[in-house]
Amino acid sequence: MALSGMRGLSVFISDIRNCQNKEQERLRVDKELGKIRTRFKNEKGLTPYEKKKYVWKMLYIYMLGYDVDFGHMEAVSLISAPKYPEKQVGYIVTSSLLNENHDFLRLAINTVRNDIIGRNETFQCLALTLVGNIGGREFAESLAPDVQKLLISSSCRPLVRKKAALCLLRLYRKNPDVVNVDGWSDRMAQLLDERDLGVLTSSMSLLVALVSNNHEAYWSCLPKCVKILERLARNQDVPQEYTYYGIPSPWLQVKTMRALQYFPTIEDPNTRRSLFEVLQRILMGTDVVKNVNKNNASHAVLFEALALVMHLDAEKEMMSQCVALLGKFIAVREPNIRYLGLENMTRMLMVTDVQDIIKRHQAQIITSLKDPDISIRRRALDLLYGMCDVSNAKDIVEELLQYLSSADFAMREELSLKAAILAEKFAPDLSWYVDVILQLIDKAGDFVSDDIWFRVVQFVTNNEDLQPYAALKAREYLDKPAIHETMVKVSAYILGEYSHLLARRPGCSPKEIFNVIHEKLPTVSTSTIPILLSTYAKILMHTQPPDQELQKQIWAIFSKYESCIDAEIQQRAVEYQALSMKGAALMDVLAEMPKFPERQSSLLRKAEDAEADTAEQSAIKLRAQQQTSSALVLTDQRPANGSPSVSQLGPVKVPNMSNVNQSPAEQELTHANGALTVVDPQPPSTSSPDLLGDLLGPLAIEGPAGTAPQSDPRVASGLEGGANGEALAIAPIEEQNNTVQPIGDIAERFHALCLKDSGVLYEDPYIQIGIKADWRAHHGRVVLFLGNKNTAPLISVQALILPPAHLKMELSLVPETIPPRAQVQCPLEVINLQPSRDLAVLDFSYKFGTHVVNVKLRLPAVLNKFLQPISVSAEEFFPQWRSLSGPPLKLQEVVRGVRPMPLAEMANLFNSLQLMVCPGLDPNTNNLVASTTFYSERTRAMLCLIRIETDPADRTQLRMTIASGDPTLTFELKEFIKEHLISIPIPSRAPAPMPAPMPPQARPTSPPTASLDPGALLAGLL
Amino acid sequence: MIRGVIIMNDQGKPRLVKFYEFQPVEKQQELIRSIYKILCSRADNVSNFVKVDSLFGPDVRLVYKTFATLYFVFIFDNSENELAMLDLMQVFVETLDKCFSNVCELDIVFNFNKVHTILDEIILGGQVLETSSSEVMKAVDEISKLERSGNSIIPSIPGWQGR
Repeated sequence: MALSGMRGLSVFISDIRNCQNKEQERLRVDKELGKIRTRFKNEKGLTPYEKKKYVWKMLYIYMLGYDVDFGHMEAVSLISAPKYPEKQVGYIVTSSLLNENHDFLRLAINTVRNDIIGRNETFQCLALTLVGNIGGREFAESLAPDVQKLLISSSCRPLVRKKAALCLLRLYRKNPDVVNVDGWSDRMAQLLDERDLGVLTSSMSLLVALVSNNHEAYWSCLPKCVKILERLARNQDVPQEYTYYGIPSPWLQVKTMRALQYFPTIEDPNTRRSLFEVLQRILMGTDVVKNVNKNNASHAVLFEALALVMHLDAEKEMMSQCVALLGKFIAVREPNIRYLGLENMTRMLMVTDVQDIIKRHQAQIITSLKDPDISIRRRALDLLYGMCDVSNAKDIVEELLQYLSSADFAMREELSLKAAILAEKFAPDLSWYVDVILQLIDKAGDFVSDDIWFRVVQFVTNNEDLQPYAALKAREYLDKPAIHETMVKVSAYILGEYSHLLARRPGCSPKEIFNVIHEKLPTVSTSTIPILLSTYAKILMHTQPPDQELQKQIWAIFSKYESCIDAEIQQRAVEYQALSMKGAALMDVLAEMPKFPERQSSLLRKAEDAEADTAEQSAIKLRAQQQTSSALVLTDQRPANGSPSVSQLGPVKVPNMSNVNQSPAEQELTHANGALTVVDPQPPSTSSPDLLGDLLGPLAIEGPAGTAPQSDPRVASGLEGGANGEALAIAPIEEQNNTVQPIGDIAERFHALCLKDSGVLYEDPYIQIGIKADWRAHHGRVVLFLGNKNTAPLISVQALILPPAHLKMELSLVPETIPPRAQVQCPLEVINLQPSRDLAVLDFSYKFGTHVVNVKLRLPAVLNKFLQPISVSAEEFFPQWRSLSGPPLKLQEVVRGVRPMPLAEMANLFNSLQLMVCPGLDPNTNNLVASTTFYSERTRAMLCLIRIETDPADRTQLRMTIASGDPTLTFELKEFIKEHLISIPIPSRAPAPMPAPMPPQARPTSPPTASLDPGALLAGLL
Repeated sequence: MIRGVIIMNDQGKPRLVKFYEFQPVEKQQELIRSIYKILCSRADNVSNFVKVDSLFGPDVRLVYKTFATLYFVFIFDNSENELAMLDLMQVFVETLDKCFSNVCELDIVFNFNKVHTILDEIILGGQVLETSSSEVMKAVDEISKLERSGNSIIPSIPGWQGR
């Protein structure tokens, strides 16, 4: 075969081939580049042939990986050469070397256009190829009409027209406006009547691009696509050259079925029937044969047909047929088909309801975990992960654990993360969960991220029943000869907290526990030592009566580390040393860690974040949300150590208040950015000097915890922490998609709805969500009004209620589509179980066009909705007041930083909160007495009495006394009122002039932010 | 869309590099190296698919095939059908085979310009342009004729031609 050989080029290539090493190659390349540069400088003597040769050399050098930063002009100038060979080189090299924004391209635009509109078909082809490969916006604007003309011209050869189709596709991607929808949709439909399969294939690609943006305009193409499929399936009028291994153009079949997947449904029954006939024929008529290429081609068509069947939501029968086929595929010899079988099963799992049929193949899928091909092993892992539920979690997780020891290193991290997530999501009981995680750490400690062991600590802390078991397990692992450092951390932590629960068992005396842990100290890194020191301090505290010898030993360790170079270790050593001298005081400070606020696992979140934003994948998310995690349900919500003890509240409160004051600034920051972003209240953990903060920090990622949970059960939901609610009010999942701006201030709307029973909760250009509520005793009936403001439907509408533990909420079915200009009413039943200030959140999302909007909205099912004002007389008030004597039923607190307001305004505020002010009860006119009845399922109707003593000289402080017959209620009500007195819940009161918004990373990572984290707070106290 | 086409030999030396989304030269080299590393570790008789999210972003995968000393690699996103990509690669290779009658690595090394021309008749702007190898051959032959007619002064190179 002849080739367009150039001696100089060939010689250069063989020189390069003869280079012994990279250095020689570089020298040869530099020499050549120098030569080309000199020759280009003096263009006079340069023949077109030489120019062409040099430009090819440049492309070759570029491919070898050397930057060619000159000669672009020469390449571009060849485009306007009159003769074909030079022109061709110009076009090819330009489209490989330059990017679409290169200035030189602009210079060529006219030449390119002349070639496109000229009569020379070969020039047209070259020009269309260049534009199709690197054309940018400018090309789109100036060339689109010409390209369209070529595509629909009847006098052009197919060779030109198919290039024009793909060229237009590129221009459309660069600027969608160049294709006029009204004018083009008919043309597009006509193009699908094309007989030439080359032109048809390119046109189909163009159609896929067009319908993926706007299927509405191209409905008329749908029946034509089905016709094309019929033509191919029946092998009618398919020329020999388009039959590939006996299959009529598999690419065109695949592309056509792809295009059909962009139409939401097929309404016309005849078209639907014809299509299903074709699909049925494909599903039934494909067999695995010997010829690999034929196999690939026929299965390309088959897998696309499967995808289309799934999309069309065929009848259950056809679906089971598909699963049966896939089940066959995952066991065949052909690795490509095994791979795609697993992948499509995973896809099928997400979009349809065939999990039970898929579960029948569990054994085969588990076998695929041992496939020689890592690509297939990964697919098997994904599938197992996706198909796991309560019924098969034990089997699957145990398989994964077993596989972990033999798995490739490349997969171990993913494996352990997935095993940990499944164990958490579907644990039949928590002790099993603890077993799984400890085994994970034992088998693959290097691949177990900190999140995983933080999470197990969190569960153990929050579940008293689990503590002795976990402590025992931790103790057992410590006996193993060589354990991973993560195991040292987790067992030291657990034993520090709970080893006293084992005290009577053999080998579990404080001294023995201390010895077995201390043995590990020489082997661990500096990040583990602080944990060990805390454990020692705790062991010491639990050793009653004190063991002098142990005490001496531990003190010696503390004093050894008092001069440690690591600041964290040093500080702990010094502090523990000093504290342990104090005897009884140690008990308070080193008391058991309080319960962690309940929040979504950061692991689950990580897993969700990792999933990209495709329709299928959001289906996983949805499923994950709908499957309630049994592990979380098991978690007890009661305060850890009985009712909160007042002495602990004092120091904890202070940073919280500073946080409250600071929050408007933070809130402003969020809004000032314009985009809906969440300001992460966590200090970056790397910069945090506090190790306990590090330990607990990642756990707290999901939500800012207002104060230590012990003193503040309101953060139990972990979703919203009062003061920071504004920042979180909208927490888009996919921020990049969420460019829809809400109308009005979401926080302001929420606060308004807290005080009244109907109004707008949320509004943006597409939707308005209104609320109407009716509250009776501890019941509430809320109606959500979802109004579509547009002339197009809102689709994929999803509303999910994330209720806090104290509310039972049931939302009636929310339709998936809201028709144009329609309003849908969705009743929501609420039952208040017990007093709490936790907030319910509505996780709401919908799709409009290409916008995916997801907002998380706080629902105004707040504490005061369950209050009913009651007026009491002096005769009723005082006996009650006296009978409720002191904590925990009667709590008193001096509140500072109160928003100054006259007494009358305060009385109004109280009345609006359903606290009835009873004038005349208190002789002092600077004081205020109010009463109300609180309703919940547990407390029933409960009278609450409130007394506020203000100081006329200083309106920023007051003393507040709250009494009721229930300690939790008293506490919650006190905090609730306090929030309204200090914070400024209505942002319409312009906040003080704001400093210019700082970028979030510039914010100090100092106490106010750190104080949001209960762990950091407590650590601060230690 | 198809993001790129790479031909490299079993030493990792690139023989043809074409990206349909511009990549700076350093990035290209880095990608080629990473892909080579992945391909080297693949055993025989495994699937032709590898997910390369870490190199190209979510949902990007590659298919590859080995022919004698050469790896052929197509990189593409989830708007393409994996097996159809493998078929297209086969068309590409069959066409090269027809052009060079039993193509070998040297043909591709010394005629990389020709290979570019052939590829441009099969893929345009990351989309499948032509799937019929005989149609591609027709177009390439036409181009060769044009080149010869405009290039009468070019000496023939015995030894490299007609391989």
